[in-house]
Amino acid sequence: MNFKFTGKRISGVQAVVPANERSFLEEMKNFDFPEARSLKLKEVMGYDKRRLVQPGVCVSDLAVFGLQNLFERGLLPPNDIDALIVCTQTPDYLLPPTSSVIQGRLKLKQDMFCLDINQACAGFVVGLIEAFMLLEQESVRKVVLINADVLSRLTSKKDRNIYPLVGDAASIAVIERAAEDEPIFASLKMDGSRGEALMIPAGGMRLPHSAETARLEDVGDHNLRAKDHLYMDGSAIFNFVQTAVPPLIEGILEAAGVSRDSLDYFLCHQPNRFMLQKLADKMKVPYSKMPNNVVERFGNNSGATIPVALISNLAERVKTGHCRVCLAGFGAGLTWAAMLLRLGRMDFCELIDYPDNQAVPV
Amino acid sequence: MNEFLKKLAEILELPEMKESDQLKDFPQWDSLSVLSVIAMLDANYGVNLRAADFATVNSASDLWKMVQARQRS
Repeated sequence: MNFKFTGKRISGVQAVVPANERSFLEEMKNFDFPEARSLKLKEVMGYDKRRLVQPGVCVSDLAVFGLQNLFERGLLPPNDIDALIVCTQTPDYLLPPTSSVIQGRLKLKQDMFCLDINQACAGFVVGLIEAFMLLEQESVRKVVLINADVLSRLTSKKDRNIYPLVGDAASIAVIERAAEDEPIFASLKMDGSRGEALMIPAGGMRLPHSAETARLEDVGDHNLRAKDHLYMDGSAIFNFVQTAVPPLIEGILEAAGVSRDSLDYFLCHQPNRFMLQKLADKMKVPYSKMPNNVVERFGNNSGATIPVALISNLAERVKTGHCRVCLAGFGAGLTWAAMLLRLGRMDFCELIDYPDNQAVPV
Repeated sequence: MNEFLKKLAEILELPEMKESDQLKDFPQWDSLSVLSVIAMLDANYGVNLRAADFATVNSASDLWKMVQARQRS
């Protein structure tokens, strides 16, 4: 389905990544896997460095650290926040919502709207759509959108298919009304019938945690995984992206009456370099217009990948000038979503480290 | 078929590939190669396979037959 918004903009973006950095080649030594193939994976997929939280660090810890930093530097007055959206698949608790946890820890005002959304890789676009809808209300002037996951805590260290790929991160985007005359277009599609391609089977009410769900099982190729862990059918996801995303973007360009060449950048979710190059090939977009360098520096950090791609590649440009971009997120659900908008005049667009020795609530 | 064998050989970094070659016999036939083959078949033949589809594939010619069957359907 298509959406159209006017008079709104993203006024700042910050990403918070754990300082703790891991090396793909070092970690692959823990698996029974030829080093030559690990080097090939590094070259083709771009797997290299990634950032992981220390044990016990939760989504709210990363988010509170980033927001406090913005408060202290005067970049975001706490009382201006009328709505706080947290997009995560790894909440602090089943309940209360993580958005409420963050509101409470930061002592934000009561006269506000806190909302959790269970989305991951498509979560930045889904969250923006929600933020723009909230801003249609007179009482909502500023929305903070947080995309954060600590998926390393839910992946099996003995599953080569996923453990060396994921990264942890939080992104914070401030969305507000603006005298922006250029409309924002968004398009969103969902297919729950294919949801099993990307899931954590246990831990909800269908299959609650137990000793049984924590038991590592041999899932082939010397990989061990429990039902408590994240599962991904990599080739199914690859096919989903290659078949679903190009028509989604063609559709939104058509709906907006915008040509592909008039866009400066395509900022996509960042599963790996290979998938993004194949997507660019299929859409006939030059690689220089579709950055793919997030996974090599931070790992696939779920819903924060698009903000991290923006910060890593376009920070100066969106602070001092403008650019027209197409955002595209795709993943769990299955969900795939795209957005066309102009980015610019941002108050901040930056990445900060979450220190290893930061104290967390017990 | 020749073009197809050439592309398979490129992915597996072999000088050449024969119809009768058993894909699973090559040490470099792993998830990365399978994904590369899936991408190649999508880009060049408009066929979308999943890793699970390779369960019944042994030789290069088995794979070629599957590609042709998918193109017809």
